[in-house]
Amino acid sequence: MSKLAHNEVISLILSIGMMLIIARLFGEMFRKFRMPLVVGELIAGVLLGPSLLGRYYPEISGIIFSTGTNVSIAMSGITSISVIMLLFVAGMEVDLSLIRSQGSTAVKTSFVGLIIPFALGYFFASNFYNLFGDNNANDVLVFSLFIGTAMSISALPVIARTLMDLGIFKTRIGMIIIAAAMFDDLVGWILFSVVLGMMKGAVGHNFIFTFGLTILYAAIMLTVGRILINKAIPWAQKNFSWPGGFLSISLGLAFLGAAFTEYIGIHAIFGAFIVGIAFGDSVHLTEKTREIVQQFVTNIFAPLFFVSIGFKVNFVNNFNLEITALVLGLAIACKLIGASLGALWGGLKLNEALAVGFGMNARGAMEIILALLALQAKLISEQLFVAIVIMAVVTSIMAGPALALLLKLKPTVLENENK
Amino acid sequence: MLWRPQNLSYVYSMENSKTENQQVFEKIAVAVAFSPRIEAILAQAKELQNIFNSHLLFIHVGEHTLQQEQYLTHLLHRFGLDLPDNKIVWDKGEPVEAILAICQKEHIDLLVAGALEKESILKYVMGSVARKLSRRVKCSMLMLTEPSIKPNGFKNIVVEGTDHSKTENTISVAIALAKAYRAQELNIIQESDPAKLAIIRSDELLEHEAEQHKDKIQKEEDEKIEEILRCSDCGELQIKLKRIEGKPGYVITQFARENAADLLVLNSPDRKMNILDRVFPHDIEHALADLPCNLLIVNPKQDEEDSIVQ
Repeated sequence: MSKLAHNEVISLILSIGMMLIIARLFGEMFRKFRMPLVVGELIAGVLLGPSLLGRYYPEISGIIFSTGTNVSIAMSGITSISVIMLLFVAGMEVDLSLIRSQGSTAVKTSFVGLIIPFALGYFFASNFYNLFGDNNANDVLVFSLFIGTAMSISALPVIARTLMDLGIFKTRIGMIIIAAAMFDDLVGWILFSVVLGMMKGAVGHNFIFTFGLTILYAAIMLTVGRILINKAIPWAQKNFSWPGGFLSISLGLAFLGAAFTEYIGIHAIFGAFIVGIAFGDSVHLTEKTREIVQQFVTNIFAPLFFVSIGFKVNFVNNFNLEITALVLGLAIACKLIGASLGALWGGLKLNEALAVGFGMNARGAMEIILALLALQAKLISEQLFVAIVIMAVVTSIMAGPALALLLKLKPTVLENENK
Repeated sequence: MLWRPQNLSYVYSMENSKTENQQVFEKIAVAVAFSPRIEAILAQAKELQNIFNSHLLFIHVGEHTLQQEQYLTHLLHRFGLDLPDNKIVWDKGEPVEAILAICQKEHIDLLVAGALEKESILKYVMGSVARKLSRRVKCSMLMLTEPSIKPNGFKNIVVEGTDHSKTENTISVAIALAKAYRAQELNIIQESDPAKLAIIRSDELLEHEAEQHKDKIQKEEDEKIEEILRCSDCGELQIKLKRIEGKPGYVITQFARENAADLLVLNSPDRKMNILDRVFPHDIEHALADLPCNLLIVNPKQDEEDSIVQ
């Protein structure tokens, strides 16, 4: 069995240590400007990677993120594990009971907020394929399905933070936005898993078959699996050390779910995402336990993942204004029209419906994960990847001010209280 | 936390309570099924009538034989329920639909029915008559899990204190019941959903920021409950406020079970519940899955509902 050489081990450990510290420093710097941590982590990678530091001082950049073959493979393994865990935590945030309890307004908002962006994205991608740059020309159908999915996804943490800042987290509109975003996440990841499954071709590029498998897995895990997990948690609480026991069991099952979905031809992330939902829905899960899992993943594995993105792609060379403007404009228009129409249909007033549209427009980390997986699957070009990442960052930053303007609210006085 | 009303000069008496209680449930319907528990259900109905000074309507849907009619007449006489204001309605057809239609037509305020604490998974998912009624009925509903032929009132009452527009009315009804039955304990439970708290704690906030958001939300909820209690005539009733972390609906059900409550009072669902709500249970469905004790689902009267919507 081949193993890392002494200097490669040092290089790998050094990379992980530096990436974690740099990601935290940049993340905190951006948080001071009330921007999501992920934006700072991403920009840290861009500044220190081939886009800037690597261009002029490749040796220094190489120390932070080694490009040696074996270390790259090890790093790739770590980022794959990171993304599986990130999706597990994203799944834990999906509260099925909240979606059900918010009733028809949330369902209408999320349904229309998903269908319209998906349809518009699909339509544009299939009819104006060349405008998106030089992508995988062999498979316009799969590419169009991906663009449709990319347009329909929302970022729950960014939305929640925005709603809390505006003091409307617990209001009717706040809960509708949260529930609709959760539902969009669920359906969005199902769609993306199908797209990735079709990409692999292992299941004969059969949409119906891949879709059927995805739905079957989700249905079994969210019914029988969820009930079994809910029953197993009290037993584990009694017999295992806690919350360490929960951490091992939950992440263990997340990886097993990921392995299973990867095996049947759906991407590994989907398995972890659904296991996350099943765990998150348990009535026995306390705030403290949730927090431990969340903190563990989002503060160790998420920064590694997001910083590594900047090292993998040259953002300066691959920046294309036309493609970025197209993706950004299309994303905002799709989500704004879709989610707002859905909210209007659900009975909200125009300004409230537009606020819902802007809230749901925030794409955040989930969109970046989606884009990176598509890039790794060679479905999209680096130019389109950069455009999607910029779109995710811009839509996340603009959600707060747009909501405040539309609802004529000011951010809560937390900042003032702190001073 | 123990709530002490400011006005302690109020002295409770059965006489003045009758007039005020009459406003709570003026018309009560009793679903009669000729089951072994029929006598106990009627005994409970009599007790309710005495307390709320209500008109009673006995509904039986299904076969109508002379023998049944004679038996019911006999029972009504035995429990002193054969009063001129009380009525018997015999109907045919699908029991749930028929009872719902009668309740609507007769402007019923409270529907009383017997219910099993727990049903088989299949029956629970498909829905028994009592549970189907509880999910769809427009008036309030009392589900009696252990009706007694010698009712002893409700002494240990647990009521929902969720931040919801219906909660004020629900707490008022619970207070009226607690006073009427001279309950020893009335617990108002505020549930903190860990899923929502986890969202608050998501990676974007500093520890103290997350705490401030959480405290602010909980303080607002506390103030609303205290305002409800200030506006309610609690008399000498001792009310305990408790905040428990956990899934809404599940937590309060567990609390009622662990504290051997004899009545759990919950808000009515905001919309018609369907099979998906049983598969992915939330709120009241947690209680319906395994009733911890008698359950009162409070549905605001139409005029109250209009004002809540406004």
